Amino acid sequence: MRYVKLFKEKFPEFFEALKKWGEVHAPVKHGKFYSFKRVSSPGEVVLDYNRTMIPPKKFFIKPLEAIMKVKVGRGYEPIAEEPKRLVLLGLHACDINGLRILDTVFMDEPKDPYYATRRENAIIVGVSCKPDDHCFCKSMGADYAWVGFDLFLHDIEHSYIIRVGSLKGEEIVEGLGNLMVEPSQEDFIKFRDFELNRSRMFKRALELSHLPEIADALYNSDLWTKFADKCVGCTSCNLVCPTCRCYDVAENVDLSLKEGVRTRRWDSCFIRSHALVAGGLNFRPTRLDRFKHRYNCKSSMEPRTGLCFCVGCGRCSVFCPAGIDHVEVLNTLWGLT
Amino acid sequence: MVWDLCVPKLAKIVEVIELTPIEKLFKLEFVSEEDAKVFTFKPGQFIEVSVFGVGEVPISICKSPTRSGPLELAIRRVGRVTNAIHKLKPGDIVGIRGPLGNGFPVEKMRGFDVLFVAGGLGMAPLRSVLQYVIDNRREYGDIIFLYGVRSYREALFRDMAIDMVEHPEKWGLKMFLSYEREDEVFEGLRQKYPERVRKGVVTVLFECADLYIKPDKVCAVIGGPPIMYRFVLKELAKRKIPPERIYLTLERRMKCGVGKCGHCIVGGATAIKYVCKDGPVFTYSDALAVRGLV
Repeated sequence: MRYVKLFKEKFPEFFEALKKWGEVHAPVKHGKFYSFKRVSSPGEVVLDYNRTMIPPKKFFIKPLEAIMKVKVGRGYEPIAEEPKRLVLLGLHACDINGLRILDTVFMDEPKDPYYATRRENAIIVGVSCKPDDHCFCKSMGADYAWVGFDLFLHDIEHSYIIRVGSLKGEEIVEGLGNLMVEPSQEDFIKFRDFELNRSRMFKRALELSHLPEIADALYNSDLWTKFADKCVGCTSCNLVCPTCRCYDVAENVDLSLKEGVRTRRWDSCFIRSHALVAGGLNFRPTRLDRFKHRYNCKSSMEPRTGLCFCVGCGRCSVFCPAGIDHVEVLNTLWGLT
Repeated sequence: MVWDLCVPKLAKIVEVIELTPIEKLFKLEFVSEEDAKVFTFKPGQFIEVSVFGVGEVPISICKSPTRSGPLELAIRRVGRVTNAIHKLKPGDIVGIRGPLGNGFPVEKMRGFDVLFVAGGLGMAPLRSVLQYVIDNRREYGDIIFLYGVRSYREALFRDMAIDMVEHPEKWGLKMFLSYEREDEVFEGLRQKYPERVRKGVVTVLFECADLYIKPDKVCAVIGGPPIMYRFVLKELAKRKIPPERIYLTLERRMKCGVGKCGHCIVGGATAIKYVCKDGPVFTYSDALAVRGLV
C-alpha cells in the first residue's frame, strides 16, 4: 500500500482534482440526516458524519430505472447510457465493504451490464469515521476497508494520511504532484492512535463467530415472533441497507401501444409478493416468514470476500419506524441480552 | 459490455397445440439463424419468455436437446404473462433469454435405472429428461415412470402416457398412472391394467412399482407441485434410495434467472442458494441441507 499525506488546508485543491476526474458526490447534511449528493465546492462536503440514510448502492443500482426499450412485435433494445465518471467522496469503511458484497453479486458472471458500467466508471474515496451508538461494523469485520477503494483518507488532526488503493487513485495522487507529501513516522503514530481509539469506541456488538447459526439453528425459536409482531412490513430496512439488492422488473407500454420500456426497481423481501409465484402459492406467506428470511439472508457469509451480508452500518436499526434493532434481535435469540 | 443473458432474443411461434383446457404446447424457432446455432441446452433447464409490453416468465424446456426441430414449451395459463402467451398464434414473435439454470445431471445418471415421478405440470420439465433417456436408451438401465394427474381432461401429454401404459415394450419402459377424480377414460384404463393404473395421488403407485425399483441401481427424477415433494421424498427414503441420487426440479419466483434479483433465494443463513442459478435441479441431499428448499 502506498501512503501519502495531504494537509487539510490543501483539501480544496484535492477536491478540484477529483472534480476534474468526474462528477463528485459526497455526504451533505439535510435537516437531521445526511445523504450523498452532487457537490461542486469543498465547502458543501461533510466528512464528519455518522451515516447517510440511503447507502451508495443508489449510484450503481438505481431505485427505479428503464433498462430496455420494448418495440411491440419487434423486440427489445438495451438502454445503454453514456458512461459517466463518478467520484464518490467520503464513504465509510462499512459502505465500501457493502459495495464489495454487491460486486460479488452483480459483477459475477454473467455480469450485470448496467451495474458494471457504472462501477467501472466510478472512483471511491473513503474517509475514516468514529462509531456512534448504532454502529457495529467492528463485530462484522467491516470496520476497516482493506480493498475496494481508490483512495482512503485517514484523519490525523491537521492532515489526512491517504491510502492509495488502485491505479486510478495513483493517477490522482500523481496529478497533484507536490501537494501530496510523504507521511512521517509521527504521522503514522497518530494514524495508529486514531484507529486504536476508534476500535475501542464501539458500544454495539454482534456475535459474528456464530452468526449464521444464530439465525439458522434458532429458526424455530419463539423469540422471532416477539420482534416480527412489532414489524410493520414497511420495507425501510431493505431500502437503507447497503447490501440489500433485490429488484423487481416490470414492463410498460406507452399510449401508442407500439413502444414501451422495461423497468427495474428496488424490491423488498418484506413485500408479500416477493416469493409469490403464479397460481397464488407463496413461499413466504407470513410476515414472520419474511422477517426470518431477512435475518437469514443478512446473517449469511459471502465466501469470496469472507464478509457477512450485513456490514454493521446500523441503518436498519436507525431508520426502523417500529424501533426494531438488528443487533438486539440476534443477540436476544442467542441469549446474550 | 455483455448483454447476452440480458436482452431477449427473438423467437417465432411455429405451432400451438392445446394440451388441456389450461395448458398449451408452444413450438418456437429463433428468428435469427445465429441465435439458433448458439442455443444449446440440457434437459431440465429453463428459459425466460417475454411477451412484448407484458413481461417475462420462467418456463422449463419440455423437449430433449437430442431431438431436432423447434423448442417446445408446455405453458399453463395461470398469470398475467402466461395469459398473454396463450393468446399468441403461430407467426407471433416472443423474446427468449436462456438457457438458464443447471438442468438434470444426465451424464451422472448414466448406468443407473431411472425412476421418474411426475405430478401435473411437473411432467413438462421431466419430459425433456424422459426423451433424453429414451434417445440414449443403451446408456441407462430400466426406466420406471410414475405419473400422477387429476383426471384425463387435466393430464399433460395424455396420449403419450396412455400409449406408454398400453405398450410398455414399444417404449422400453414401465409406465404407471394415477388419477384423483372420477374419470371414465382412466377408469377404463384401470380395469384393463389394474397393475399399472390406480386411483389416488402419485404415491399410491410406489406399491405397484416396487417390484422394479432397485435402490442400489436407481436414480430418481422428480417434478411436480411443491406439495408433492415431501410425500414423494418420504416414499423414496423408505426405499433407501440414496439422497444424492434423487433429483428434484423446483419452482420459485425466478425473475432474473441469473442469481441477482434475489426473489428465489432459499435456505438458512448457513446455506443460501439461488433456485434459478444453483437449481432449479437440486438433489435430496441439498434439500436436507438447505432450509426451505422443499
